[in-house]
Amino acid sequence: MSLEAIPIHVINQPPGEEAGLTGNAPPLLRELVELVKRLLDTGEAAAIDLGAMPLTPADLAWLREKLGEGEIAVTLQANGESTLNETACPGVWWVTHHNEQGAVTSQFIEVAFVPELVKAHPQDVAIGLESLELMISDL
Amino acid sequence: MQGPLIDTLARQGITRRTFLKYCATLASMMALPPSAGRAMAEAMAAARRPSVIWLPFQECTGCTESITRSHSPTLEGMIFDMISLDYQETLMAAAGHQAEEARHAAMKANAGKYLLIVDGSIPLGVDGAYSCIGGRSNVDILKEAAEGAAAIVAMGSCASYGGIPKANPNPTGAVSVSDIVKDKPIVNIPGCPPIPVVMTGVLAHYLTFGSLPELDAKGRPKAFFGETIHDRCYRRPFYDQGKFAKTFDDEGARMGWCLFELGCKGPVTYNACATVKWNGGTSWPVESGHGCLGCSEPDFWDAGGFYKALSVPADPLKIGAAAAVVGAGTGVAVSFANRAKKGAAKSAHQTITLADLEK
Repeated sequence: MSLEAIPIHVINQPPGEEAGLTGNAPPLLRELVELVKRLLDTGEAAAIDLGAMPLTPADLAWLREKLGEGEIAVTLQANGESTLNETACPGVWWVTHHNEQGAVTSQFIEVAFVPELVKAHPQDVAIGLESLELMISDL
Repeated sequence: MQGPLIDTLARQGITRRTFLKYCATLASMMALPPSAGRAMAEAMAAARRPSVIWLPFQECTGCTESITRSHSPTLEGMIFDMISLDYQETLMAAAGHQAEEARHAAMKANAGKYLLIVDGSIPLGVDGAYSCIGGRSNVDILKEAAEGAAAIVAMGSCASYGGIPKANPNPTGAVSVSDIVKDKPIVNIPGCPPIPVVMTGVLAHYLTFGSLPELDAKGRPKAFFGETIHDRCYRRPFYDQGKFAKTFDDEGARMGWCLFELGCKGPVTYNACATVKWNGGTSWPVESGHGCLGCSEPDFWDAGGFYKALSVPADPLKIGAAAAVVGAGTGVAVSFANRAKKGAAKSAHQTITLADLEK
């Protein structure tokens, strides 16, 4: 039985607000401006934890729409799916982690040239090299 | 299996990215800044498995049941594997003298360094004879194990505050860990049972930073117990609007209105249920239509009845639109009223009747 079959309407909209917008989303765009500036000046990456903000689903949708879709969309299969999508602003990535059941476990906006998760770690590359060499030795 | 954690994980087929992803989520849940996820991953990858001794006293094994639900297939469970769990009666293969020996060996080998987890309260009546393991009283075993521990985690409401065994009239003279041990850092993780991820989260914090997380006045980690259920409840707007379910099957209940009048203890209960939820984030008591019992608060069993409202809220019908404005103020008043009520209920030991349940 799905949750929808239970006759309880979950109305999660703050009273007196238009379409669930709290006004908490726009300041995040200003913060992003600062973070992108910092990335350009110092190369320092940063992230905003969307789970830690009092944002409603409507706020998130608004933010997502404002930032738009970029050219790159990365899908990571690790203990559930994760998506790392570039927004229309290069260097700003919308990162969503799902668990194996498909529920969102955490959500971030990352400001980086390439998100940390996408890069291969030197130690893992070394392991890859070993297996390549092993492959050659068997030829 | 004593190498760095990342190697152990690799042997189990856990990739670095899976681990990084887990740490990012964990940091988010623990209310740490996003950059902490990476720092945690680095520290944890290099961490070595600390020895953990888990002592069960006057308990129902519900806490163990709960933490094993965070086990496979989730990564929290794997982290749990990453500690060296040297004694846990329910989970260990050894039994009897072998088990007792394993505990003593671990305590000796890791003196001053092991993490002691306790679930269940400790009975002091009749010289502690109400609960014994291997012929020794719980209080005796606790004192011995606490001596060499680096820190103690009181798992669940019983170990934290005495819980159900301590409920009036407390026939066994049950007390909490902190009533007995005074000279060690103790972290309380109350709940009946506690949320699985809160337990593993505290262990992860210990692994990462080598210390216990920041605690509140009741010894609970602030990251998980910093706010009330009520403050984070998705039904809170209905409380502010004065829309309450009056019975469990009326229009209000079907519309998902606030359960305050049906005895919800959310306003006075500090826990993470409303955000972390249960069963892998599926739902939690209020979402499934039942008020909070307040199981993570001291003496919740004697707090005056699960289906009795904390106090009568301001008449929602008369105040109408103004309710939203006074909502916050009402919450404060209610919490004070409840404190008085809790005290009164405690001394009078109210018996819950059928009428209470049908209210």
